[in-house]
Amino acid sequence: MREELKDRNFEVITIACDAKGRAAAEPFTTAAHQQHPSLIDEKLAVAELYDTRNVPAAFWIDERGRMVRANDPIYAQRRNRETGEVTLNTDYLDAVRDWVAKGPESKFLMDQERLSARMPALDADDVAAAAHFHLGTYLALHGHTADALVHFKAAHALRPENWTYKRQAWSFGDIERDYGTTFQEAVKDPKSGSFYPPLDLVERG
Amino acid sequence: MAAATVLYQESENQAENARAEGPELWLTLPELTAVSGWQLKPEGVCKEETCVPVPDSRRAALIRSEASGPRFNLTEFARLIQQPFAYDENNGVWYFGPAGWDWKDRMASRQAPDFELPDLAGRLHTLSELRGRKLFLLFWASW
Repeated sequence: MREELKDRNFEVITIACDAKGRAAAEPFTTAAHQQHPSLIDEKLAVAELYDTRNVPAAFWIDERGRMVRANDPIYAQRRNRETGEVTLNTDYLDAVRDWVAKGPESKFLMDQERLSARMPALDADDVAAAAHFHLGTYLALHGHTADALVHFKAAHALRPENWTYKRQAWSFGDIERDYGTTFQEAVKDPKSGSFYPPLDLVERG
Repeated sequence: MAAATVLYQESENQAENARAEGPELWLTLPELTAVSGWQLKPEGVCKEETCVPVPDSRRAALIRSEASGPRFNLTEFARLIQQPFAYDENNGVWYFGPAGWDWKDRMASRQAPDFELPDLAGRLHTLSELRGRKLFLLFWASW
């Protein structure tokens, strides 16, 4: 899709928010033969700036640098892990094409109210959770796994609905051994809310 | 006194002469500036164009004189500017996040926050350098 649209003043930027950095991202990006800016957010600082509570998370930004869609839980295509079959997310891709064709007239854009709902204001607990998460990540990367766990758990307790904090933390150890739970159980825990925000692709007049 | 590792937003520094009292991180003035960029001046605690005045009621908790020279409590300063922090006693590591004026009311404008990140080849890119095009920004991870 990027190749199709790139001459119409459109660009794709992907950001791998991964504390393990290039080493974790490279296998995926090389396989995909990407030609757009493919960036690494090792400190998850930009992920935090955009309040991505899970991945994937997509944002549309217009020519003036303003956000017009925020936090879509979407990949352009999905690969079935068992069959290897790749399916394109055609509805979503069509919405992107609609935006490229119609610009501000596109009915897929979000107004201020919807944008604020997708990226609500932060409170003291949000930023405290972030501080614990970032300290936990630093400690985990430096081999202090038990100490890291204390801070990851503090972040999860303050913000149970933030899946980025959970999934990145789990990637450093063993979820059952360290957290006494499984991925399936964690996803079903009512305190964590839904895994993804709803994909609100309805056209608005 | 022992070395403290201070993660101040994007920077990582060692404060060799730090004095820790639980979470309270007392730094010499040169180390305060080296790890956080803040400087203690007559008008207050200053960095670039910002100066935070020291309230009289908080002065003793923020600044103290010692035989070896004045010290500044970066942890108490974090409380003053509503900056979240976390600390690890076992390894002497402190993390300080954004100040209150950076994280409050962040969606007041619709401007997508600018950033600078490296690509896989290590080349830096900013969001602002792509201004003028429609951009599809996708966050993903291997986890």
